Amino acid sequence: MTSLAAQLGRIVGDAHVIARATQLLVYRSDALPGLQRAPARAVFPGTRDELIEVVRVLAAAGAPFVSRGAGTGLSGGALADDITLLGLHRLKRILALDPIARTATVEPGVVNAALTRAGAPHRLHYAPDPSSQTACTIGGNIAENAGGPHCLKYGVTLDHAIRATVVLPSGEVVILDRGDVARDDGTQGGYDLLGAFVGSEGCFGVVVDVTVRLTPDPERVCTLLADFTRVRDAADATSRIIAAGIMPAALELMDQPTIEAVESSVYAAGYPRDAAAVLLIEVDGAAAGLDDDVWAVERLCRAAGARTVRVAHDAAERARLWLGRKKAFGAMGRVAPHLVVQDAVVPRSMLAELLDDIAAIGDRHRVRICNVFHAGDGNLHPNIPYNAHNADESARVHAAMTEIMTRCIAAGGTITGEHGVGLDKLPYMEQLFTADTLDAMCSLRAVFDPERRANPGKVVPVRACREWHGVASTRHGARAGETR
Amino acid sequence: MNTLAPLQRARAGLDSCVHCGFCLPACPTYLALEDENDSPRGRLLLMGALLDGSVNPDDPAVRRHLDQCLGCRGCETACPSGVPYGQLLEATRESLVTHRPLPLVARLVLRLFATEWALRSVLAIARLIRWSGIAALLARLLPARLAMPFAMLASSARPAPASYDARGDGARGTVSLLTGCVMEGLFTDVNRATERTLTVNGWKMRVTADQRCCGALHAHAGDAVMARALARANIAAFERSGAEVVVLNSAGCGAMCREYGHLLADDSAWADRATAFGAKVRDVHQLLASAGPAVRAGADERHPRLGTPVATRVAYDAPCHLQHAQRIVDAPLAVLQAVSGINLVPLADSDQCCGSAGIFNLLLPDVAERVLAPKLSRIVESGAEIVATGNPGCLMQIGGGLCLSGSAVTTRHPVELLDETYARAERPR
Ligand SMILES: Cc1cc2nc3c(=O)[nH]c(=O)nc-3n(C[C@H](O)[C@H](O)[C@H](O)COP(=O)(O)OP(=O)(O)OC[C@H]3O[C@@H](n4cnc5c(N)ncnc54)[C@H](O)[C@@H]3O)c2cc1C
Ligand code: SF4
Ligand code: SF4
Repeated sequence: MTSLAAQLGRIVGDAHVIARATQLLVYRSDALPGLQRAPARAVFPGTRDELIEVVRVLAAAGAPFVSRGAGTGLSGGALADDITLLGLHRLKRILALDPIARTATVEPGVVNAALTRAGAPHRLHYAPDPSSQTACTIGGNIAENAGGPHCLKYGVTLDHAIRATVVLPSGEVVILDRGDVARDDGTQGGYDLLGAFVGSEGCFGVVVDVTVRLTPDPERVCTLLADFTRVRDAADATSRIIAAGIMPAALELMDQPTIEAVESSVYAAGYPRDAAAVLLIEVDGAAAGLDDDVWAVERLCRAAGARTVRVAHDAAERARLWLGRKKAFGAMGRVAPHLVVQDAVVPRSMLAELLDDIAAIGDRHRVRICNVFHAGDGNLHPNIPYNAHNADESARVHAAMTEIMTRCIAAGGTITGEHGVGLDKLPYMEQLFTADTLDAMCSLRAVFDPERRANPGKVVPVRACREWHGVASTRHGARAGETR
Repeated sequence: MNTLAPLQRARAGLDSCVHCGFCLPACPTYLALEDENDSPRGRLLLMGALLDGSVNPDDPAVRRHLDQCLGCRGCETACPSGVPYGQLLEATRESLVTHRPLPLVARLVLRLFATEWALRSVLAIARLIRWSGIAALLARLLPARLAMPFAMLASSARPAPASYDARGDGARGTVSLLTGCVMEGLFTDVNRATERTLTVNGWKMRVTADQRCCGALHAHAGDAVMARALARANIAAFERSGAEVVVLNSAGCGAMCREYGHLLADDSAWADRATAFGAKVRDVHQLLASAGPAVRAGADERHPRLGTPVATRVAYDAPCHLQHAQRIVDAPLAVLQAVSGINLVPLADSDQCCGSAGIFNLLLPDVAERVLAPKLSRIVESGAEIVATGNPGCLMQIGGGLCLSGSAVTTRHPVELLDETYARAERPR
């Protein structure tokens, strides 16, 4: 009998199958290096047909697998525990771009920012802009329902996805849409199956191609930087702006430790180092009337206690202010070698209170918390840079994180705004959802992947799933489910 | 002896990688080979694995992935965490050569560059092959892989050199050119153009005797011992000549010279002198651009239009060791903008490596070719007639590639184009 690797090699070419342990090392984690799982083999199809053939061979062998885009995920979603890793980064062609219909059809490995670059000559862009946009793939975005600073006004990945071709784990190829536009054969309607698929974290199937909406570049953009001497005041300004009925394109908060990290990096943006927090606020739209919004935002910030409010005077300054924000996570690497990144969503009205609580938790555990987040959405990212080689520090960091997440859940929040549950946040699922809800999630998954071969052991803890509990051969799932 | 000692010393740099993956799309070998083992994040992980013993320095696959790195440092300018990738790579290679020597070709080439009389003779022979037309002939006749070195050589031929009497007041200070081996041997006219344009813009040129190869090829390949010896010789030579500024027109050599301080950091007798030398290093574009309006000496304002050239479409391709290693981005464009009649056209992905990378294209020609291919396509798409770039390796790699693909596009150093403007302005009418 030929090995699975050999069979896969016959489809994609031996150069694109990896089975040597030393070459699989780099595929053990995503952007959360604290979590590692060793894949048994990795396969990188180079065409749509190769991808479908690979999935069919895996299906015939009953082999579980994990899809991987660029591996920029922050929840350990693309980790394969002794099973096949299916890398989609070679599928990076933009198949069609229609400037009239304002749509593009792309392969899953196309990098988010590459799509925006392709739209630029037509004054179009791909609106969902995760901070990782220069590296992450559209396939990974679909799987995580990725968001970004500008999703406050423009909506997250799901709001921009029109149709996806998906190869189900069985090898069957299906087209999923939202039921809201006419299909090629004239039919329309039915369930929003694409809505179910987007955000399924690689557990429902593999994206073969996806058609997304492109957004016209706004006529005018204005970016403001407001700085505060208390984090609370920045949170308060956020609430005031939203309450005033202004819809900024983006509203981001960075606290002092984050400012410090960014200002020490190659992406120094000119944020005042002595501020307790800064708000980066962008308003955009038709040129007429924009000045009124800018003026109103400035006034509201000052009313909340802003020390200064500065308006970027040209595109270069605007780009610099944004680059600092987008590279903030990475810049924390200067502070300490390891980083835990969290992603909790809380009611916006409670932001100020929760930030105080988070700071108190950090003090109590003697860890340094860097906050950088989508304030407009109440999507918090408390990050803690630390040294994982120091056992005592690691223990304190993880205790602090657990406490922060528990506090956010108690405040009526949830455990992920955009990074997904993956492997990292499995333990919180039972805190957050009832057994019935988890069962319902399992049933939905069974529609797409009844054998649970796609990304097993992620998102829903197997032991929490009554329907599946006790079902044999959940080796991988069970292992992953016990990571904490 | 711990053979991984150099890498061990660089450990802190390795730890600053947060694994975010932002460097992947900036890496030419990742884009061409499509395996994360051939990406910055992957290679850093392999370096870490070497240190903690989870991979063996003799593992051929691991060595291949590390060997396949171009050292272009495109990953450094993409990295929010400031990982000093170039230094880590050199430390890794220095560690690995103690385990297993470099391939014979590499050792021969490196030895050649460190042996002055031999290098001079080889470059003279190369000039002869180029002048006789044999290089161009072989480039046409041989199969592609074998033809590339000859195409590169043929493409280094310069059009008839501009000649004019360069005059200036020397008010900006005294500078001395590090002439470089390949630059002086095959691009002699570029060196002269460098001296003339600097003179016109107010610098006084001083010759520094007894210069050697800068040692960049050696440092990149892991031969730190030889690199340090060459660095010491150059530091001493330029100290003797007393130049306030050391100017270079080769991006790769410039990047190396700036880092002499790092190279000799552990040598107490030389560390300070090396750092002082590094601080004196400037790229020619930096100096010319800093002269700002002095590029006025473009002199077309004084002699409007007579005998001026027809507009030429020029695309600028950034040498990696200028853009990523020295972080000099705008100065070459400022120099080109001072060239009269120029029509600067944008070149997509101009910040991506062309695959030249020192002697990389000799050691791993197939990888170099795969990295070069998209560069050639972008050049054709740009519609440029001339590609301007300030590094001998890039001039020849791109020039050779264009020559083999039958393209009429040629490569020039930005300074050559500026020099021509000055020559035309001086021409009697
Ligand atoms: C510094 C930094 C900043 C970030 N900022 C943001 C942010 O602002 N907003 C945000 O939302 N995220 C952010 N992220 C997280 C991450 O970039 C996103 O989750 C992104 O969508 C992951 O894309 P990827 O291609 O790297 O996917 P991977 O990490 O490779 O995979 C992520 C998940 O997608 C699945 N998957 C990948 N491709 C496919 C496919 N073709 N078909 C089916 N499933 C697939 C995988 O199985 C896995 O479960 C950030 C990450 C970093 C490192
Ligand atoms: S961008 Fe820098 S920190 Fe991020 S993975 Fe690459 S080298 Fe590491
Ligand atoms: S130096 Fe260049 S080739 Fe090497 S890892 Fe960095 S970007 Fe890639």
